[in-house]
Amino acid sequence: MTVDSPMRINPMISHRAAHIGRAVLRREDRSPLTGRRRYVADLRLPGMLEVAFVRSPEAHARIVSIDTGPALALPGVHAVFTGADLDDVAPFPHKILYIQPVGQTALAVDRVRYVGSPYAAVVATDRYVAEDAASLVAAHTEFESLPAVADLDQALAPDAPKLYDDWPDNYLVNYPAEKEEVTRAFEEADHSYSDTFISPRQTGLPLECRGVLADVVDGQVTLWSSTQSPHIVRTTIAEMTGIPEPRIRVITPAMGGGFGTKTHIYPEDVVMPWISRRIGRPVRWIEDRFENLVSAVHARDQRHDVDVAYDDDGTIRAIRCKAYCDVGSGEIFMPGTAPVFVTGGCITGGYDFPNMEVHHFCVVTNKTPAGAYRGFGVPEGLLVMEGIIDQVARRTGVDRVEIRRRMVLQEDQMPYLMHGGGRIDSGSHAKSFERAAELIARSLERIRAEYADDPDVRVGVGYTNYVEPTTPTYHLTTGHWAGYDSATLRVDPDGAARVGLGTTDLGQGTETTAAQLVADSLGLDPDDVTVVMGDTDRAPYGLGAWGSRSAIVMSGSILMAADRVMVKAREIAAHMLEAAAEDVVLTNGEFHVAGSEAPSVSWSQVATAAWVRTVDLPRGMEPGLEMSGYFEPPELEHLPDASGKVNAAASWSNGAHAGVVSVRISTGELKIEDYVVVHDCGTMINPMIIDGQVQGGVAQGVAGAMYEEFQYDPETALPRFASFMEYLYPTCSEVPEMTIEHFETPAPEQPLGVKGCGEGGTIGPGAVVACAVSDALADLGVEIKATPVTPSAIRQAIREASGPGGGA
Amino acid sequence: MKPAAFDYYRPTTVEDALAALGTSETAKILAGGQSLIPSMNFRLAQPDLLVDIGGVEGFDRMEVGPEGVMIGASVTQSRVMTSDEVADAVPGLRRALRHVAHLQIRNRGTVCGSLAHADPAAELPAMAIACGATIFIRGPAGERTVDAGDFFLGPFWTDLAHGEIVTGVHFPAESAGTVTLLDELAWRSGDFAITGLAAAVAARDGEATGARLVSFGVSGVASRMTGAEQAVLGFAGGDDGSDLYEAAYGDAADAVDDIHATAEYRREALGALAVRSVRAALAANGNGTGV
Repeated sequence: MTVDSPMRINPMISHRAAHIGRAVLRREDRSPLTGRRRYVADLRLPGMLEVAFVRSPEAHARIVSIDTGPALALPGVHAVFTGADLDDVAPFPHKILYIQPVGQTALAVDRVRYVGSPYAAVVATDRYVAEDAASLVAAHTEFESLPAVADLDQALAPDAPKLYDDWPDNYLVNYPAEKEEVTRAFEEADHSYSDTFISPRQTGLPLECRGVLADVVDGQVTLWSSTQSPHIVRTTIAEMTGIPEPRIRVITPAMGGGFGTKTHIYPEDVVMPWISRRIGRPVRWIEDRFENLVSAVHARDQRHDVDVAYDDDGTIRAIRCKAYCDVGSGEIFMPGTAPVFVTGGCITGGYDFPNMEVHHFCVVTNKTPAGAYRGFGVPEGLLVMEGIIDQVARRTGVDRVEIRRRMVLQEDQMPYLMHGGGRIDSGSHAKSFERAAELIARSLERIRAEYADDPDVRVGVGYTNYVEPTTPTYHLTTGHWAGYDSATLRVDPDGAARVGLGTTDLGQGTETTAAQLVADSLGLDPDDVTVVMGDTDRAPYGLGAWGSRSAIVMSGSILMAADRVMVKAREIAAHMLEAAAEDVVLTNGEFHVAGSEAPSVSWSQVATAAWVRTVDLPRGMEPGLEMSGYFEPPELEHLPDASGKVNAAASWSNGAHAGVVSVRISTGELKIEDYVVVHDCGTMINPMIIDGQVQGGVAQGVAGAMYEEFQYDPETALPRFASFMEYLYPTCSEVPEMTIEHFETPAPEQPLGVKGCGEGGTIGPGAVVACAVSDALADLGVEIKATPVTPSAIRQAIREASGPGGGA
Repeated sequence: MKPAAFDYYRPTTVEDALAALGTSETAKILAGGQSLIPSMNFRLAQPDLLVDIGGVEGFDRMEVGPEGVMIGASVTQSRVMTSDEVADAVPGLRRALRHVAHLQIRNRGTVCGSLAHADPAAELPAMAIACGATIFIRGPAGERTVDAGDFFLGPFWTDLAHGEIVTGVHFPAESAGTVTLLDELAWRSGDFAITGLAAAVAARDGEATGARLVSFGVSGVASRMTGAEQAVLGFAGGDDGSDLYEAAYGDAADAVDDIHATAEYRREALGALAVRSVRAALAANGNGTGV
């Protein structure tokens, strides 16, 4: 038993039952189902006031003046603060040196760059009065409108208005790349062509919007925030306000989803404690849905201009991709620059394809800042890759499945080094694809027969093979943090365990899976394990939940801490049994000498000795039975090498999605008739929870594939959305039934062989739907290269493919 | 997303409701509130007075007779939809209501409220026109009635003057040989229509002999499709439908472009809906089973 190999459950434990791998029911379900879970919006403190933020109605403007007088005169208004009042707050950190500094301040001062940008805050007795006052502040703000930039083309035009006067242009990141072997392949290949793919603006859309309750008493800051990363919020507040970090406590109560949008540190997280400190009362801000749509981060919004070189036999020789991400105004911490690099690095999916050249560009526009959302760039890339494969199949007449078979990664290629430095540690890429193709072939036949008599309906199929980078480094995203996370594990006198984790629960079942891990690593029952997360005073410093990282980092840190607890517990037990420590084992929760079940001592006896009857401890032993583990995932790299390559994820899950769609030619009506997921995230801790992650992921993938898009007016850059009347997400009526199967290819370097599983579901549907619709309408010449694929978009594609009057 | 301040009044008689409405230029009638309350929360509507007609005596009556169905101002959509008597007398009502939003919204939303609100993409105004319904109105000057076909004037704009209340709507019983139905294209179930069609089609011996066809969600107001109504005469199920398609396409000349669909899409979709709706009506008429 050593503490430096946390890859397995302690071999000295004989289990009553192994809990890892079982569908243990989620312990966190009862309270939300019975309305007893407590979110930020459920919290109230005595004397609490409500805050409403005043947000820019202008896409791009100078703030000439703000008259707060009329708002302050309104009964019930306690204070109004503008950006200028926060002159003792430092700007948001700028730690990534290859991106342009945006100089984001807590509230906008002098200049606003997107509709929704907060530039003042109103404090009032309730939200109603606060909104009345916010309207008055807005009405008494004089703006001088500036020319606005609504999209990539406008931003990159030679005479484009600049968002940041001291930048040379509107590139937040400008990272071209050329590869000799790609250039050569284009010279040698039989053919080449160019194409463009578009993944538009979306957002994570958590059921619970953001919210912050701040209370500063005697210099002690308590902040309740619906955030995925409470410790990072704490560090950022300390850095920006100068408040000593130990005096800041950030609590994430129950969360109703985050999906990446709540990994960012928002202005409200910093402004709210500042206000509470200033006015000496607790203050609360609960984000409404309009605010969430305009001021929580957006995502995707990528365009890919590709050149493809291929041979007559269907071999794709090389791909050159200019990957553009419209990151909105860029005023967000952490910046929204990382997803497009993930797109570039993962664009080749589950295929062996080294001849890939990707140029990365992040461009600022007068739109809501873009950032993280489940999938984090991977779905955008898969849409490109699968679209290219299908296009080459059409051009050469080679079967689409056959081309994929030739390219899909094989097990004997593992570990496989991707073109951008990603090191795929393991996987079942070929096996998963074959299984998905087999499953979907059956339903394809059935569905074709179903519509055989309807000449208006076409049926098509789409295939994908993806990789899901899990447990990524945060260093490339933040320029600051890296990859580790933490567990502090204690066994209390009654023999029950309590673990504090640096990761958080945003609804994904972490509490249950953590209890399974602790239970097996100490030989306890999950019911004997209490899990504490989301409180910087009660849980150890950690980076939070994002990037499908919790499974790996909490497995590692829990096993490290448990190994250390076991070492000490065994010494205590051995002392009580008057035996040598190396002879003591743990069976069914009882310590005894190997080979003889009696006498034995229980966890309670051991922990009572550690905490209470310390007179029973071995002479000279330090009391207590609490240990920590800080786990940095092996193989995870944090900085690129000289050629720009980096393995930015600790382990790589994989999967194959396939789907059958029906399309009604006359109306463009589109239905996903069947959807198949063959999924591999290594060792499964809780298969039921993983199925839930896949289903929810596919639902959000379908959202992007068929429904969601933030549209902006091309002239004014004003949003053409304000509510769910305009931004359509799929409901349970629209999300298809799906078949989910798993392979378990353990991650060779990671604890227990686990990999992450939070995002894979989201990656496939965009490519599946686009390719399936193109397949269904192939005889009309339709090619779908952008999402969402709406009936209107389908009809337009049919018209454009077949000319005026087509398809009528 | 909180409304601006307003006064609230819940009268029990029509007279009191009318008197209250007369006290304010911006007063609004609150029935189910499923459209009004969200627009107040967005501060798009800022009435200084809400007159809640939910407690007005007699507004909750729903009567089914040989002539048809009379629906009072506070009768919810769910109540109408779940009534088998209503479905027997005016089958088109249940068929339309199936497409109206979701259960929770129908539990609150009223039939008359939807008519008075006159959302251009709503189902009930179109079905009222297709059925030849009559709208009953009370105002300071007394009672009057308006044919549904004359009631809807534009987006959220009706013949109703400020100070008047829709007290009820009468849907005539469906006559033998006529089939009433509604079909629509919406990106999600329960949404307002991107393109919709309410149809009352009369037929004999498998051929259409007359029809009221009403588009909704296409332009700014639910509209009779005069071209398609001509083209449908003599149409039989086996016809290829191209004339009807072209006529319906032409009826959508003023289709709108918005973030969800292009105007051209709406024209094509209305053409396709016209053909498939009339075919469905003829099939239902032929076998007497409904749609």
